[in-house]
Amino acid sequence: AATAPEARAAAPAAAPAWESRYSVCDMCFNRCGLIARVENGVIVKLDPNPRFTKSRGMLCARGNAGVAQVYDPERLKTPLLRVGERGEGRWKAISWDEALDLAASKMKDIGAKHTRCGMLFSAGADMQSGFVSRFAEAFGSFNVTSHESLCLLSGNRAFVDTFGDVPLPDVKNSKYVILAGANRLEALVTPDSMDLVSIMQKGAKVVVLDPRYTKSAALASEWHPIRPGTDMAFMLALAHVIIQEKLYDAKYMAERTSGLDRLAAHVADKTPAWAEGETGIPAADIQRMARELAAAAPAAMVYPGRRSSDYENSTQIRRSFAIVNALLANYDRPGGLVPARPAGLKKAAPFEPPWYDDNPPGRVDAKSVPLLFDDEGSFVLTREAVLKGAPYPVKGWFVYKTNPMATAPERRKTREMIDKLDFMVVVDIAMSDTAWMADLVLPAPSGLERQDPVQALQAGAEGACLVWRDPVIAPLHQSRPVFDILKALAGRLGFPEAFDFDIAGYRRQQLAAFPEAEAILKRDGVFYPPNAPLGGTDGQPFKTPSQKIELYCSRYADLGLDPLPVYAPPKPSPDAARNFRLVAGRSACVTQGSSTNNGLLSEFEPENTLWLNEEAAGELGIRQGDVVQVQSPAGRGELRALVTPKIRKDTVYMLSGFGTLSGGLSHTTGVGASIVELLESRFDAICGNSAIHETYVSVKKKGAA
Amino acid sequence: MSAQKLAMVIDSARCIDCKGCLAACKQANHVSRGTWRNWVKEAAPPVENGPGGSRKLGRGHFQPGACMHCDEPTCVAACPTGATYKNAADGTVVIDPRLCIGCGNCIAACPYGARFRDPEKRIADKCDYCPERRAAGLSPACVDTCPTRARVFGDINDPDSDAAKLLAANQGKVVRIIARQKDTRPNMYYIASTAPQGWTVQPADPLSFDFLAGVVAPAVRWAVGLSGLGVLVMLGRQLMAGAGPAAGPGQEKKEDGHE
Amino acid sequence: MSSDIRRHDKSDILMHWFNAGCWLVLLVSGLGLIKNERLNPLGAWLPDALRSLFGGGSAGGAALLVLHEAAGVVWVLGLAWYLAVNARGARFFLREVFSVRPGDFAWLARKMGRMTLGVGGELPPQGYYNMGQKAFAQASVLGGAAIALTGLVLLLSAKVLPASATGLVGWAVTLHYLAVGLVFAGLLVHIYMAAVSPEERPGLRSMFTGHVPEDYARHHHGLWLDALEKDALENSAQDKDGPGAGENG
Ligand SMILES: Nc1nc2c(c(=O)[nH]1)N[C@H]1C(S)=C(S)[C@@H](COP(=O)(O)OP(=O)(O)OC[C@H]3O[C@@H](n4cnc5c(=O)[nH]c(N)nc54)[C@H](O)[C@@H]3O)O[C@H]1N2
Ligand SMILES: Nc1nc2c(c(=O)[nH]1)N[C@H]1C(S)=C(S)[C@@H](COP(=O)(O)OP(=O)(O)OC[C@H]3O[C@@H](n4cnc5c(=O)[nH]c(N)nc54)[C@H](O)[C@@H]3O)O[C@H]1N2
Ligand code: HEM
Ligand code: HEM
Ligand code: SF4
Ligand code: SF4
Ligand code: SF4
Ligand code: SF4
Ligand code: SF4
Ligand SMILES: [Mo]
Repeated sequence: AATAPEARAAAPAAAPAWESRYSVCDMCFNRCGLIARVENGVIVKLDPNPRFTKSRGMLCARGNAGVAQVYDPERLKTPLLRVGERGEGRWKAISWDEALDLAASKMKDIGAKHTRCGMLFSAGADMQSGFVSRFAEAFGSFNVTSHESLCLLSGNRAFVDTFGDVPLPDVKNSKYVILAGANRLEALVTPDSMDLVSIMQKGAKVVVLDPRYTKSAALASEWHPIRPGTDMAFMLALAHVIIQEKLYDAKYMAERTSGLDRLAAHVADKTPAWAEGETGIPAADIQRMARELAAAAPAAMVYPGRRSSDYENSTQIRRSFAIVNALLANYDRPGGLVPARPAGLKKAAPFEPPWYDDNPPGRVDAKSVPLLFDDEGSFVLTREAVLKGAPYPVKGWFVYKTNPMATAPERRKTREMIDKLDFMVVVDIAMSDTAWMADLVLPAPSGLERQDPVQALQAGAEGACLVWRDPVIAPLHQSRPVFDILKALAGRLGFPEAFDFDIAGYRRQQLAAFPEAEAILKRDGVFYPPNAPLGGTDGQPFKTPSQKIELYCSRYADLGLDPLPVYAPPKPSPDAARNFRLVAGRSACVTQGSSTNNGLLSEFEPENTLWLNEEAAGELGIRQGDVVQVQSPAGRGELRALVTPKIRKDTVYMLSGFGTLSGGLSHTTGVGASIVELLESRFDAICGNSAIHETYVSVKKKGAA
Repeated sequence: MSAQKLAMVIDSARCIDCKGCLAACKQANHVSRGTWRNWVKEAAPPVENGPGGSRKLGRGHFQPGACMHCDEPTCVAACPTGATYKNAADGTVVIDPRLCIGCGNCIAACPYGARFRDPEKRIADKCDYCPERRAAGLSPACVDTCPTRARVFGDINDPDSDAAKLLAANQGKVVRIIARQKDTRPNMYYIASTAPQGWTVQPADPLSFDFLAGVVAPAVRWAVGLSGLGVLVMLGRQLMAGAGPAAGPGQEKKEDGHE
Repeated sequence: MSSDIRRHDKSDILMHWFNAGCWLVLLVSGLGLIKNERLNPLGAWLPDALRSLFGGGSAGGAALLVLHEAAGVVWVLGLAWYLAVNARGARFFLREVFSVRPGDFAWLARKMGRMTLGVGGELPPQGYYNMGQKAFAQASVLGGAAIALTGLVLLLSAKVLPASATGLVGWAVTLHYLAVGLVFAGLLVHIYMAAVSPEERPGLRSMFTGHVPEDYARHHHGLWLDALEKDALENSAQDKDGPGAGENG
């Protein structure tokens, strides 16, 4: 052919002169195993660790962007002391000694003046977060929050109160999965995300319920654009069909569950036709799905989900998820829900926390809801208490690797809470919006520069694996791991014994049961402790009051809560002008509120847009790319509209992590709108988890009347 | 046939559009901001009837891609310097950055839009199947990182490679995306089917190159040929004259003598 | 025996051979750079052969490109140097080369006829340069400028020009090729006339010595000699140096 090339052979390329070092990704909580390629002390590439089966040997876009995080020119470099007004952004670089002295003396003052519970400690998802809790305990404060009360506590509450534990989905072996409010192909959770794709190819059915046509919806066997807030109606209808048609395993139900009769009565009128009216999903489809699900049981599931910070009744919504699972008799069965398997880690560096008589009786948010998780509390309710100064004043805040200014609803309130404080210190890798408001900002190393203790990770039916981190490069700038910071503070505050160890020694204690583990971790980057096959809980009591799966939750009955999930239609908008429900959700290239400033990832998601249904946009005279004004009682925002058929007409959506305030986030400050500026501070009535899908907003074209 | 034939076999139905492959490629190959060696295209989902006369989107599909390392690459045909060429050893179409002058001919000449001029390196760039990684015994960055194993890479002349096995297992079902306007015989194979299609473009040489190849080069060949011919004729006459008795005008002899 | 007449001064000679040397290097290396089925002037063997001299394959091509670019820069700098040290000579040269007189075309036509076919009438007298020389010199001046300019674009392309410059670069390639091609066509004749044709031997010598015999000058460049003699009459204090003489002019 005329264009046939003149072929010649190229000299073979030389292999790069890199060293390969194991670590674990720190771009989200999944902690996928990775291999860092290091050339002359510089990380040039992060690759997946093929031996790390929990992540199916992958590294997502964010994982790849870990290099950009390490070498981000906007990284925090030195301890910074605020010298201007809060939020003004005037800082003075100070030495670590000055910084630690200052932090210690401020904490001491607050302890003396307001009791030690006057200090609040918040830590995000991290392998060193446990040390923050330990420090709080040693310091003497009950007030610890984590990201979890913004994330998954209502789901955990529901499953603990049904099964006695929080089981994991064994997606890999499942034949039928209902994903309700879980965008698993974008909100990556390993190994579930990958396994969903694999099982669909093998013929399993995946049903997605989501008001948005997410990527999960696009690839699922079926997608139903459910009316937001009505998932419980769908689940009760599934239960109705399964019970009515006796599609369950009667023997199992009798032996392992309690309250089937009450459930049957409860759902007797929750017909598919009724649910259609609530959810918008055709009754025939609901009925069919119930039958298909039951036919595939026990290798079938209603996916428990992860983030359940949606509605004020999220615990009850998730209870309905748990109940349908119970009807499928899928607990501890391949393809169903499996209990977390013991990883065999030993408790390291045990210590006796001191007791302070002057302390108040409990957490500052205690008793604000009936079933708070004591270790996690509720960020939204804690913030409320700090604002009120009641039941007692909280005047200091230690924040590690979490960014409530970007991830807690109603940013204005978080800002007001901070104004109530005498002292706030933030340990972060970047000048997050939360750091921007602090008095003292301390630079942290990235996961790739740290030594971390051992952590157990669960991978569905495959059980636990153990990982740790050793630094693949020396810490950049003046960054210091939070462990070192806490240890230094403990020394200054007079309880050095609480941190009288180093991480290497700590890890040895953790791994005491596995003498071979250290060598294997060094060789493979991951260690798999022996893993018992599924079914080990058969015949064992469930950790519930009745020792059975509680379809009917007796504890709720005792507390005056609905023992069976009672459906109430979503409350309509109190204001006719605010006719869109605002929902949150993930992109595969963004981690929560905080990776949007990453140099590589910002190329994928350079700004957020408001997803607006095309018909709704037509009625409002909004065209593709128009700047729109979004308003709620909490605040307002301006961003471009994405006019699309991919969302229900009554719902709008925007990505989190934009419209930031900090002067250290050049890709996102002044770019797009902040969703937390718009979200109202609602919370789950049972456990205090934040409820971020309860906000109605008005939308209009910028400049329109 | 080249010794090896490196190719990518893509099971696009597995792709979740997570963009891991794009990020990995950028990081591995120092691709400058704003430019990409690979892509994931989204098919416009079909509109179906939803409940109550509503409209609802049907099944979606994502299609990962990159340079297809064609057997009849129009990019090679358009490169004036041979900086772009087909590597006989492994069948890849590569760019020698040292020979590339950034003229951009190849960019317009590729029907897949696989090429771009890197704004920092200032030369043409595209997927090269990560030769350094292959030399280190690793798969290309995008393949290595892919969460769902949608991208499979290997030597399809080697029946034991992952790619060849996948092809063999799907014999008769494999599709390629062929530009309507020109079949460059791409070496990117999609399992069963893939969408979207019809996004390829007319491989167009820039006007400057068409003019060069179509007008200037022949004109120069003619001009040089004519002048060469003239010189030869003059030389012939000179030699004949030198041999014969009555050469040209007398003074030339005189001048010769003068030397 | 007639006396010699000064025709070129040293900087002219130096410049000419410097130019010729650069052209040789640039042409050879440049020919090695074209490697494309539709452009190869003589087929792929030529660039392949040239590249194999420099390491073969695209590595050889890359080496040739480096050489070509270096030689190109040297050449442009050399030209600039000449313009700086002998601006007068350059001005004289350009004036001569671009002043075409009425009889010139007749000369060119007859000369071409005579040299190739052996036909054609009497040759009208010529000035400092005959029309053939002028035509070639014009081509090499204009062509050279085009080559230098486009060459500069090509040189800068991968070093400083933005991605949006591909259009400019594409046209630079085309013009570079065109200009080189046309000048090269003329160069063949130039080299034949200068180096091979016995008629022009004294001219060749002058390209080393700077002088031509008076009768050669009279025969070949009658009008120039006339002008020189007129000058000499008008200003007998001056010697018979050609107008290119810069040193004591
Ligand atoms: N609007 C909205 N709010 C949400 C959500 C949502 O989708 N939308 N999702 C909710 C959910 S599920 C969750 S889990 C929470 C998560 O909420 P957060 O815990 O606030 O999570 P991130 O936004 O990831 O913030 C992590 C912080 O850690 C910093 N960081 C990253 N790496 C390091 C490091 O190595 N060391 C240190 N010291 N700091 C580091 C980052 O700069 C950032 O400031 O948000 C919840 N809130
Ligand atoms: N890429 C990426 N992956 C992540 C994270 C990340 O930040 N980025 N974060 C990790 C963390 S901390 C978590 S908690 C998980 C979160 O994982 P998911 O819970 O799967 O995450 P979201 O994206 O918040 O998904 C919520 C979905 O629910 C939909 N939705 C809103 N209202 C309703 C409703 O009433 N009913 C139904 N059925 N759907 C509704 C939203 O449109 C959205 O698509 O992801 C984890 N994985
Ligand atoms: C006497 C002068 C020169 C000659 C005879 C010459 C000849 C050539 C030839 C034949 C080519 C290959 C085909 C083409 O692109 O046209 C070429 C290419 C090139 N020349 Fe020159 N050149 C000359 C001067 C220069 C100068 C002054 C520069 C730069 C300073 C230059 C830079 C280049 C470059 C970068 C190329 C590569 C582009 C390509 O191959 O298309 N050249 N030259
Ligand atoms: C082997 C190579 C060459 C030889 C033997 C040669 C010889 C000569 C001679 C003898 C002259 C003097 C004519 C006269 O003044 O009576 C001359 C002039 C000149 N040469 Fe060359 N030359 C060569 C290469 C080149 C090249 C490569 C160029 C430029 C492209 C060039 C450009 C000129 C020009 C512009 C003049 C003045 C005008 C003319 O005499 O035509 N020469 N050359
Ligand atoms: S899912 Fe992605 S970001 Fe999260 S740990 Fe794994 S590779 Fe890192
Ligand atoms: S990494 Fe794999 S799944 Fe993700 S976008 Fe690329 S091809 Fe698709
Ligand atoms: S896809 Fe385009 S760039 Fe790649 S070989 Fe084919 S024609 Fe060339
Ligand atoms: S830009 Fe393309 S066509 Fe031009 S030299 Fe470089 S590889 Fe060849
Ligand atoms: S093979 Fe290498 S160069 Fe090509 S797209 Fe994948 S990562 Fe990029
Ligand atoms: Mo979360």
